[in-house]
Amino acid sequence: MPARGFGTPTPAGKAARYLLLALVLLLTIGPFLWQLSTSLKGPGEDVYSRTPDFLPAAPTFANYTQVADTIPVWTYAVNSLTVAGIAVVGNGVGATLAGFALSRLRFRGVRLVLGLFLATLVLPGEVTIVSQYVTVRSMGLTDTLLGVALPGAIAMLNVLLMYTAFQAVPPELDAAALVDGAGVWQRLVHVALPNVRGMLSVVVIFTFIGAWDDFLWPLIVLNDPQRYTLTVGLQYLNGTFAANPRLIAAGTMIAFLPIVAVFAALQRFFFKGVEEGALKG
Amino acid sequence: MTHRLTHRRWFTPWLLAGPAVVWLAVFNLWPAVNTVILSFTNAKPLGGGHFTGLDNYERALSDEQLIDALVNSIVYLLVCLPLLTLLPLLLALLVEKKLPGITFFRTAFYTPVVASAVVVALIWGWVLDDRGLVNGVLGQLGLADQPVSFLTDRWLLLFSAIGLTVWKGLGYYMVIYLSALGNVARELHEAAAVDGASAVRRFWHVTLPGVRPAMMLISVLISVSALRVFSELYVLSNGTGGPGGRDMSVVMLIQMYSRGFTGHIGYASALSLLLFMITVGPMLLLARLNRKAA
Amino acid sequence: MRTSHWIRLAVAAVAAATLVGCGLGDPNGSGGTGAGDASAGGEVKGKVSLQTWALKPKFTAYMEGVIDAFEKKHPGVQVEWLDQPGEGYSEKVLSQAAGGTLPDVVNLPPDFALPLVKQNMLLDVAKADPKRASDYVEGGTAAYRFAGQDGTYGYPWYLNTDVNYWNATLLTRYGLDPKKPPATLDELIAAARTVKEKSDGSVYLMSRKPGLMDFANAGVKLMSDDGKTFTFNTPEAAALLDTYRGAFKDGLLPKDVLTEKYAGNAKLFTSGTVAWTTAGGNYITSLAADNPSLAPQVVSSPAMGTPPLYVQGLSVSGGTKNRATALALARWVTNAENQAAFARLTSIFPSTKASASDAFFSKSDGTNAGDAKVTAFSSLAGARMLEPVQANDAIKTVINQQIALALSGRTSSKEALDTAVTRCNQMLKD
Repeated sequence: MPARGFGTPTPAGKAARYLLLALVLLLTIGPFLWQLSTSLKGPGEDVYSRTPDFLPAAPTFANYTQVADTIPVWTYAVNSLTVAGIAVVGNGVGATLAGFALSRLRFRGVRLVLGLFLATLVLPGEVTIVSQYVTVRSMGLTDTLLGVALPGAIAMLNVLLMYTAFQAVPPELDAAALVDGAGVWQRLVHVALPNVRGMLSVVVIFTFIGAWDDFLWPLIVLNDPQRYTLTVGLQYLNGTFAANPRLIAAGTMIAFLPIVAVFAALQRFFFKGVEEGALKG
Repeated sequence: MTHRLTHRRWFTPWLLAGPAVVWLAVFNLWPAVNTVILSFTNAKPLGGGHFTGLDNYERALSDEQLIDALVNSIVYLLVCLPLLTLLPLLLALLVEKKLPGITFFRTAFYTPVVASAVVVALIWGWVLDDRGLVNGVLGQLGLADQPVSFLTDRWLLLFSAIGLTVWKGLGYYMVIYLSALGNVARELHEAAAVDGASAVRRFWHVTLPGVRPAMMLISVLISVSALRVFSELYVLSNGTGGPGGRDMSVVMLIQMYSRGFTGHIGYASALSLLLFMITVGPMLLLARLNRKAA
Repeated sequence: MRTSHWIRLAVAAVAAATLVGCGLGDPNGSGGTGAGDASAGGEVKGKVSLQTWALKPKFTAYMEGVIDAFEKKHPGVQVEWLDQPGEGYSEKVLSQAAGGTLPDVVNLPPDFALPLVKQNMLLDVAKADPKRASDYVEGGTAAYRFAGQDGTYGYPWYLNTDVNYWNATLLTRYGLDPKKPPATLDELIAAARTVKEKSDGSVYLMSRKPGLMDFANAGVKLMSDDGKTFTFNTPEAAALLDTYRGAFKDGLLPKDVLTEKYAGNAKLFTSGTVAWTTAGGNYITSLAADNPSLAPQVVSSPAMGTPPLYVQGLSVSGGTKNRATALALARWVTNAENQAAFARLTSIFPSTKASASDAFFSKSDGTNAGDAKVTAFSSLAGARMLEPVQANDAIKTVINQQIALALSGRTSSKEALDTAVTRCNQMLKD
């Protein structure tokens, strides 16, 4: 296998690489482990003392079962998945099509549209949430999961990410396809798409995480607790008179695991673009 | 512009870009127009809303907290931009290669991005407060006889927040770089390797040009998020904005003014627009640099 | 197909413009002042919605019991109960109010109720249900009367106050008597000095910045009577702040208090870092979950000065379509019997006069949590709402920032208070 990136891996180089990886790991994984440890601690163990033990003395899954007993975790998870699913499909399709059109097709107004997309990145959304709610309400979508997913179903950042990815596809490929008489659709599906799978998986990850983690917006749109998403529903663990940090940690871990799973599953696609790419053609 | 090739029907591109443009209009431009209108009123979340001309903008210009917030944003930008453009790229190169267990490392490096704000605040509090890890180590080494006020000094708090931003950003931008690296043609690397180019030279002449579009986008994203920083400063100062509120960012100010029942939506909208104008500057600059380099 | 979609979007946009862009006041339509005219007469039946705040899941069974009994008492009534999570409640209520979807009966603390009252979105229950007043303690009812607004806009529900909590182990270790904890600010500072010296600076007693409540307790008039300007930049307030400055300078408070909010001292107390905090009557119960080894060592004592009064209440939406039922429900949930049952589940206190003589509240079960409950209950009689309802989160943030700045010594107390008052008045302005 030929080398990519820095040098060919020699045993020493490999060791150095792992050393570096371990160093960064130490920096990044702390909060995650902390949460995990808290979620496994039993009621007899201090979690907020000045010097809490890092390892639970008697690890227990009781907190997890208790979370599942107090709130309908599965219902909430399915709701979250629905919202995330709509958002992922919307962004995957919408952002890809738009990114492709902006990058690969010549048309009037492309610069204006691109500029507007870019500008929205900077437009502060902080003051618009009530106005957003009124828009969704006038579409009759309050208290529906579709209403939660809709505003983020095509995020402008994702359009720009896809645009960047299409820009990086060598133009010669496209030219060759055009000479062969390929239509727009063939060019997108057979030439461009295989080369942007990496970015597409990034878009999917970002969208999934964004939709999965969002709290305030679903809270505002939804009324019926049966339709709550997981992040909103988990707030019930944090009630006025009852906040057990172990339960909250267990709840956070439950919400966290699907994200990790999605990331771990998709990260290998970052490289598919080239490995299976159409460059050979 | 050779790669923008012709197509037969004029409306094809609009058909493809259509949904995104509709979303742009309904969920982005429309609220933005609304914000512009509101910035000239004294609207509250419920009612109010008389036209007040430039009052909000005048108020902003004499708002001492806004000046502090702008200074904070600029410092943030100047420190974050170089660090977060380069470090995630190096990290991406580190985890790019297929090694046993690399999936684990990639995923682990990404976890700070999704860690909950509460936990992050808790952990960093323990690391940085007067009797935290860092002060403990400094004391042990005899480097400081007084604890360093990482979380209560105007500038140290700002730099602590920058540290937190960099820590969280590593994984986020690493992911974008990884997907861009996937596009750097392996053949080019092979060719360069055959030519006997050193690793550093290959980084400079093959990797860097290959990820340049991504790098440009990333630096735009960094600039935007640096100027719009919120959660890191909020979390580390427990939402107080530091003594005298001198460690507030513009977005923290916007939040403070706009939230709640009696929020000054009008004033917050004016601040939003000022922030918008300030952010467009660096973006145009970056776009120009990009065009020059291309 | 496409065309109609566009039209719908355009209609949506116009609707949004009228509601938000121009911020027209009363999306509830017919709600508001006119709604208050009729009395509670009318038949109690049909559908009503009830919204509570952060009671699930711990009090689900209790609330369902109360609602079932109501439905049984009034056949033909259907109550839809919504409980909102603790986080984000003000945003939730705000968007409900702006969108015209406010539930019929809604749990609103007084500071949430006031802005809705100003928009005529709540029913004047004094007018609609005049007989109600005699049932509730005066402090509770008063919380829903607002300067410059005629009428009463809610049924008081449960009450709470703050008491002092002391870490007995730490007090004893540093030579202080946990049975006779400090009862004034001067005693507190003296004790803090002892703790600091004897612990060689490793333990703190105090960890709270002064705030509006402390100013009120020092006799400072916080606001003008019309509720339109803040007035707490007085020499008395500056003197109090100076006292704290001195204590901070002498290292009697941890430096981190500069960026702590009001509840920050409870957080430090929970972690065993400081030996004193103020908190509600049910604090020891939650401490038992967070730091079980600390909970048994805690003793309580009455708050210094006038104890603060915290009030929760149920308001009725001005836009309710079923006023008679909504009023009956609000009254039912807050009646003496239901409140007394609620208070037996956790350390909160009923706002009904009938409970004042209930022996349950004045007798401890002998545990330290029971003692704290009794301390809190006996404090309630003299408790007052110390913070003005106009002091919203943003205003408190600004005050907090200026007080921190003064404590840190980078500005004088007087100057900090002046700045705070100027900024807060600006934020109060319409």
